[in-house]
Amino acid sequence: MSVEAEAGVPTASHARRRRSRLDLTGPTLLGFPVAWLVVFFVVPIGIVAAYSVDALSITTGPHPVTLTGWRQLVTGDPFLGHVYLSLFWKSVKMSVIVSAIIVALAYPLAYYLALSGTKRKYVLLLLLIAPFLTSYLLRVLAWKVLLGDQGPINSALSSIGLTSPDHPLTLIYSQFAVMLVLGYIWLPFVALPIFVSLDTLDRRLLEAATDLGASRWQAFFRITLPLSAPGVFAAFLFVFIPTLGEFVTPSLVGGTDGYMYGNQIADLFGAGFPDWRTGSVLALFLLGVVVALTLVFARFLQPRQVATD
Amino acid sequence: MTDELEVLDKRLSRQDLLKLAAVAGGAGLLAGRTGAANAALDRLAAESGRLQVLDWAGYGYDGGQAMFAAYDKRYPKNKPKFTVMANEADALGKFQQGVNWDVFRPYVGWVRYFAESGLVQPWDTSQIPNFKLLNPLMVKAGQYKGKQYGIPEDWGYDAILYRSDKVKPKARSWGLLFDERYKGKIAWYDDASTMLPVTGLYLGFKDPWNQTDAQLKQAQKFLVSKKNLVRTIWSSETALWQAFGSGDLWIAYAWPNDWVQMRKKPKPGLPVVYMFPREKALAWVGMLMLLKDSPRPKLAHAYANAWSSTASGKWLEDNYGYGHANLRAKPSSSDLVRALKLGDQKTFGPGGIAHIDRHIPRRDVYAKVWEGVKSA
Repeated sequence: MSVEAEAGVPTASHARRRRSRLDLTGPTLLGFPVAWLVVFFVVPIGIVAAYSVDALSITTGPHPVTLTGWRQLVTGDPFLGHVYLSLFWKSVKMSVIVSAIIVALAYPLAYYLALSGTKRKYVLLLLLIAPFLTSYLLRVLAWKVLLGDQGPINSALSSIGLTSPDHPLTLIYSQFAVMLVLGYIWLPFVALPIFVSLDTLDRRLLEAATDLGASRWQAFFRITLPLSAPGVFAAFLFVFIPTLGEFVTPSLVGGTDGYMYGNQIADLFGAGFPDWRTGSVLALFLLGVVVALTLVFARFLQPRQVATD
Repeated sequence: MTDELEVLDKRLSRQDLLKLAAVAGGAGLLAGRTGAANAALDRLAAESGRLQVLDWAGYGYDGGQAMFAAYDKRYPKNKPKFTVMANEADALGKFQQGVNWDVFRPYVGWVRYFAESGLVQPWDTSQIPNFKLLNPLMVKAGQYKGKQYGIPEDWGYDAILYRSDKVKPKARSWGLLFDERYKGKIAWYDDASTMLPVTGLYLGFKDPWNQTDAQLKQAQKFLVSKKNLVRTIWSSETALWQAFGSGDLWIAYAWPNDWVQMRKKPKPGLPVVYMFPREKALAWVGMLMLLKDSPRPKLAHAYANAWSSTASGKWLEDNYGYGHANLRAKPSSSDLVRALKLGDQKTFGPGGIAHIDRHIPRRDVYAKVWEGVKSA
């Protein structure tokens, strides 16, 4: 070993080794996730796209490429009319309601955890996400028992005379049940991004606002809310996107009233007579809408300036 | 012949081929005869690997192993490997996965569809000794163009189940599924190929399995108008039992097993009646079908023979509450004998209580109409 190397002076071979290590590290780090994305996302999407135009088909016999599935989505079908778009719109409304309500509910929770100064905030946060320790299915099924006609809620209402046992409140198998259970399931997902955005808030801004005579509400609306907006939008998207395509919860607690767009896609692929073409069209349409919404919302996800006027 | 060679080629590994060459060559040299080589060929050509079965949940090693116990005993090295099919549409999707399936079990209404699709091949019934014990009417339902594509096994009805303490039907009719008096307590079954024929029967259509566009639109309009009465459209029997048990449902489109289960558990059971409508119930028959590219057709025949045995039939009736095509199989429970109407000789024939489910030429349109009902 040379004296220079021992003394830590960089030599030509040293630099070459370092360069080659750097050259290897970049593609390795990037290559794997990119390959993963291509194999498990881009290729499947391509396959679904091929099914949507009959380039691939599960039926035997010739199947020329056609845009019929896409055309029927827009122009309607003799037996279905515009039922797919109507169902999509119904699902959008349900998802917006669920997302908005639980963002509104989660914000005060996250605010308290992040800004109250409690030393137990991480313990409380853990409690908030504790339901995740149990199975998703189990949590939904628990609601099924709670919301039943003879379940604890209806029994309690009946015992205090608000309903009669013969005419219980219709809770289970309804849109309400779907939205309630979805809200419960996704609440922790909503609280986390809001908590993170509030937890990293520069408290000196709030102190400065107070010093300059701002009330607590003014400080909240002029500083806290704008600076936590990226977390709020992220939280909204975290819930809105998966609930829009949700099909497990509606199939367990939704009944005829809570049938959603995701159920329709699942049915087209695996119930009755398989119609993978239409199922693929609906799945890609959903993906397109989600991508478009994400792009629109992306600008709100950037950290924002606090108003200075 | 070419097909046979291709199949043989797939089955023989390189090691097997070397063994075959050695045995055949040695036999040829020593004896000058092909007998030994043929014996070796027979041995090596014997079907290998596990039988690939696509079947409904509960009919594999998840509780239904008694149905093929005789097969397991005889072919311990070729025990079936099961994949669950949720329904026939799901099976069609799974055929895309590139697995060489041997056997699957769709229901009778799909026999012609699969036979015409070219996905299946007819059985050689001479290789199924128990075949002669099967109900001739159901055997006939498994035929297409004179060939036996489906081996009938389990069967049951689609009829109406209701809580006798809550519901007083005005008539023995499918109309109970559309009865305004029981709004919010009714469940339909999630299947276009049975719900639309049932609606057609109720509305008096001549051929509910082959409705015209106008009839389908009328049936769809009718079902959409009655959907507000329906609490849920079920696809899982256990969910149905739970909903009846919790009082969420009083009336449902159901199978005999549902009646048996609800009366059984928990004691003393629910007061439920299984009603056969005057428009006639539907009867379904599970049909074992042999895939066209099955690499193990002989094993598949042995498997079908095990399913068709009297012991398997009786086990199915006693444990799952369905009927079995084997005419010698009789359930122990008198309740089940009554539910299945086993004493009624005219069950399926003219003047009987049920229509055997049948081929629906426009199954894709039926599915679309039903989707329209669910999404409306």
